[in-house]
Amino acid sequence: MPRRALPRRAFLKGLAASGTAVRVGLPPLACMFNSSGTAYAARSGPGSDGKPETRFVLWFNGNGIPERYWIPRDQGPDYSLTPCLSPLARLQNDVQILSGLDNPNGQTSGVGNGHQRSMSALVSGSKYTGMGAGSASIDQVIAGKIGTESRFPSLQIGVCRESFGSSMQRNMSWSAKNRALAPELVPQKLFDRLFGRLDEGWVRRKRSVLDVVRGQAQSLSSRLGQEDSRRVDEYLTSIFDMERAIAEFPEEYAGQVDEPEAGGDPRDYPRIAKLQSDLLVHAFASGQTRVASYMLTKCQSLARFPWLGLSFARHHEYSHLGGSHRQRQQEVMRDICRWHVEEFAYLVARLKSVPEGSGTLLDSSALLFVHEHAEANSHKNSGGAVILAGRAGRLNPGHHTRVTGTFGDLYRTVANEVGAPLDHFPTSYGTVPAATA
Amino acid sequence: MLRAARLAGPAHCIAGVLALAASLAMPAPCAEVPVDFAVDLYPRLEAKNCRACHSTSGVASGTRLQFPELGAPPGVIQAFGLGLKRLVNQEEISQSALLLKPTNRIPHTGGPLIAADSEDERLLRGWVEYLASLNLNDQSIQTAPRENRSEPIRRLTHLQYDNTLLDLLGDGSGPSRSLPEEDYVNGYTNQASAQVITPALAELYGQIAERLGRNAFRFGDEHGLLPCEPDGPTDRDCAQSFVGEFGAKAFRRPLTEAEREAHVDLLLQWAGHGESFLSGASTVIEAMLQSPHFLFLVPSASDSHVKHFEIASRLAYALWNAPPDRVLLATAAAGELGARSSVEAHAKRMLASDRARETFDHFLAEWMRFDRLRNSVKDRNRFRDFGPEVAESMTEETRRLFRHLVWGDLDFREFYTADYTFVDDFLTNVYGMPDPSAPFGKTAYPVESTRSGILGHGTFLAQTGKPIHTSPTERGLFVREHFLCQTIPPPPPGVDTSLPPLTLGGRPMTVRETMEELHASEPVCASCHKLVDPIGYGFEHFDTVGAYRDSEPVRIEPTPQQEREGAKATDHLLPIDSTGFIAGIEDSEFQTPQDVGRILAQSPICQKCVVRQLFRYLFGRSETARDALVIERAYNRFVQSGFVFRELVLGLVVTEEFLATDWSD
Repeated sequence: MPRRALPRRAFLKGLAASGTAVRVGLPPLACMFNSSGTAYAARSGPGSDGKPETRFVLWFNGNGIPERYWIPRDQGPDYSLTPCLSPLARLQNDVQILSGLDNPNGQTSGVGNGHQRSMSALVSGSKYTGMGAGSASIDQVIAGKIGTESRFPSLQIGVCRESFGSSMQRNMSWSAKNRALAPELVPQKLFDRLFGRLDEGWVRRKRSVLDVVRGQAQSLSSRLGQEDSRRVDEYLTSIFDMERAIAEFPEEYAGQVDEPEAGGDPRDYPRIAKLQSDLLVHAFASGQTRVASYMLTKCQSLARFPWLGLSFARHHEYSHLGGSHRQRQQEVMRDICRWHVEEFAYLVARLKSVPEGSGTLLDSSALLFVHEHAEANSHKNSGGAVILAGRAGRLNPGHHTRVTGTFGDLYRTVANEVGAPLDHFPTSYGTVPAATA
Repeated sequence: MLRAARLAGPAHCIAGVLALAASLAMPAPCAEVPVDFAVDLYPRLEAKNCRACHSTSGVASGTRLQFPELGAPPGVIQAFGLGLKRLVNQEEISQSALLLKPTNRIPHTGGPLIAADSEDERLLRGWVEYLASLNLNDQSIQTAPRENRSEPIRRLTHLQYDNTLLDLLGDGSGPSRSLPEEDYVNGYTNQASAQVITPALAELYGQIAERLGRNAFRFGDEHGLLPCEPDGPTDRDCAQSFVGEFGAKAFRRPLTEAEREAHVDLLLQWAGHGESFLSGASTVIEAMLQSPHFLFLVPSASDSHVKHFEIASRLAYALWNAPPDRVLLATAAAGELGARSSVEAHAKRMLASDRARETFDHFLAEWMRFDRLRNSVKDRNRFRDFGPEVAESMTEETRRLFRHLVWGDLDFREFYTADYTFVDDFLTNVYGMPDPSAPFGKTAYPVESTRSGILGHGTFLAQTGKPIHTSPTERGLFVREHFLCQTIPPPPPGVDTSLPPLTLGGRPMTVRETMEELHASEPVCASCHKLVDPIGYGFEHFDTVGAYRDSEPVRIEPTPQQEREGAKATDHLLPIDSTGFIAGIEDSEFQTPQDVGRILAQSPICQKCVVRQLFRYLFGRSETARDALVIERAYNRFVQSGFVFRELVLGLVVTEEFLATDWSD
């Protein structure tokens, strides 16, 4: 999309002068509210009962956790926060901690290493195929139900880049078996997709170009074999999505969001994570999407963490630190995982800061924080612990509960609360009642 | 099916067996079938997980026993059951390998999987006896009937996309940099199964197309794209010839009438809006660069004239990662790519070009996972010499050896055995060798060196190491996966895989001693680790950055308790045992990396693995049972040429299968 019309104003207001650590503010924009004071997203009109739109975020950190520093020892509403969960201190009533979830298809034998198998089963409930996830990931299943009316059916957002490079390790969203949806890692590009300004002449030309392209894709698809035509149809779907994205550009809102500054260290992940979170909050507030995945570190991540004073090895190596450094493994993982939770808490707090109707964006959202393993070092697939933030539907935050059930069970429970009831999801045999009131 | 046959009687039985085994030397005597293979026996073999090793990508890929893929249809399973006759000793049934191996009566690398005198063995014996009574033609069982199956449609890879835009518009900026990185699948980033055009990717293709369309005529027709001087913004004739000419380059074939019309209309519409022919032409370029005919390598109907253009594209993108050049397009236009001889002549011409070098450099970079080497991290306190420059030099060393063999038409097995290398000052510093006369010139290893081809390169030794310690497991796995095309199952979930402190035995121990000590008490771990670690032990004289060491330095840190009592870390130098073996390869006990190199070079499993790796890269997918014939033929050509890599490339590319065609000669 063209960027020529965009003035490069500082996105990070009030911070450029000091040049210190980046804290991105989300200015309370007048345009986010309609005349009755609700956020842009709360659309009214035929078929709307005036309730805000629900939203779903699947949020991911790689490699797993150090259970003893992550999972609270006590249950109930007054549980004590563990070192890893300490960034949630001011949000304890907005999140619930659920532990004891199993990932049954991650434990089966088959192709791939432990991380790949676990990841496929975690996001899709299905076994790793050797090439990718065994079926559509939960965010895409939900997007298929509640995302179809949005400008973007879903967004895939990422932060850290480093991994072993395979498709299963680099992606958390899958539109179908083996069909990865790559996350956008660059805030400027995410901004362009969401708010890059479209002028009228540009839109008209783009449409007539896409008309020609679509015509060719359609006639090509019709003469190809089944498998090949599916590939071309995927492109065709993407073209339709593009056309819709052009048509539903939120003109009124867009002019109010400033572009993130270009440049900066592309590996300054704490800064990038916050910029990405801000853009996601803007995307929700402006009603551009209802579903997102957010991949902070990759599956079997190889990220480095200089800002944590950890520059001696990489994320995955730290998770298996051995030999004479073995004693430090748990402490190092504690610090890494506390950072993960810190970035998640930032997003939750931002959503909570934006009024919508009589509450905030967080009240109609569900954000689920997962990782491919429970205990990282042993590649554990049972007893997984998650953070579930938000109050969409009947979600009931403010407690830690040990539950029995699978990730599939929890997904179906949450899907139901965001308005996407699912009859089936792989490895789901029931629900997780503790999550709802 | 055999169960049905048993119930239904002899006539059906013969028909069933015939259908399964493709063809039999003579009608099988329909003996009473004592065991229903697919129902009674096969699930028991599955439960023993025989397939983990006995598959084309398992450790036992070199043996005569290969299980069908997981979830294979019943027909395939029955055919497999009959094929086991190869392992039956007709004269002396009890001496059949099929009975002796899994019970470990003769040594079985996988150990005893079937207990002697168990129900499992009783059923197996029943099947062996039945097979002994059959009179099947062995070969007929092995060869599945050839299926007509076309190759999957492929999207231009990022590299191909950039090269195409360079040829088309002279844009050398590498526009794919703004696209999401391509993921590794099956060991390569160009696999058809991963080539999705997501909405986000479609948008980025659109942005690039728009920018390049605009830039094409920024200073008038600076690239000479217009074949005519337009007579005003609505010159339909000139629009026709521009669309026809540019379109033929963008789509790599002549446009159809409908395609031509659609683009001419687009041009005139936007030429009218902008009152400029060139802004209309820009819009045509923008549209064509998003067309599926540009972004995909599109299969054509086999009898059409366009088929020759398709062959030209398949050849060019395989050998050059770039579109067909003028010569190739002219040959296609003349309809002269329908014969093997002509295609082979073109392929040879193309392999002589620099573009082929870039392509196979790219293959090497992915096969040897240069990306992982570049991303390696080593403890800075211990390995001050290792850094990004050194990692880069290591990739260059490997690239030089590869080019030396490939483009010099030398015996490619030297990739594993070369007693020379190509180093610069960075590497001689790490490796402890005298400086070369010229950077990356060919240098012989010192006489006392045990380095051997790629096995002595940092590319292999450093990317498989941890920040401080070596990892014999990772090195063994690399050899299995990259050089033998075999996979090893990962540790089961719930197992602590960290290296324990190097004092397990109550004294300072080497990494090898620690792992052996650990696995001696953990038979579950040992069953897989013995397939990989003993290979890795062979390289223990090389530390985690690839430097030679006489002995292994081990530092023992005090526990917090000991530290409080004033204890300090202690340093020890321990002797290294670098002997080992490669399970699954006969007589593979070795003393040095040079021995490993020789064993690999001489092993047909390793030689065939080169073919299989190249197959994955060129065909853009992993090989299946249906590709056995293509691979076998290419392998034979490779062997007969004395392992000339170029011949191997021709053996895979100049085939009806790769080009999706039928030869006229």
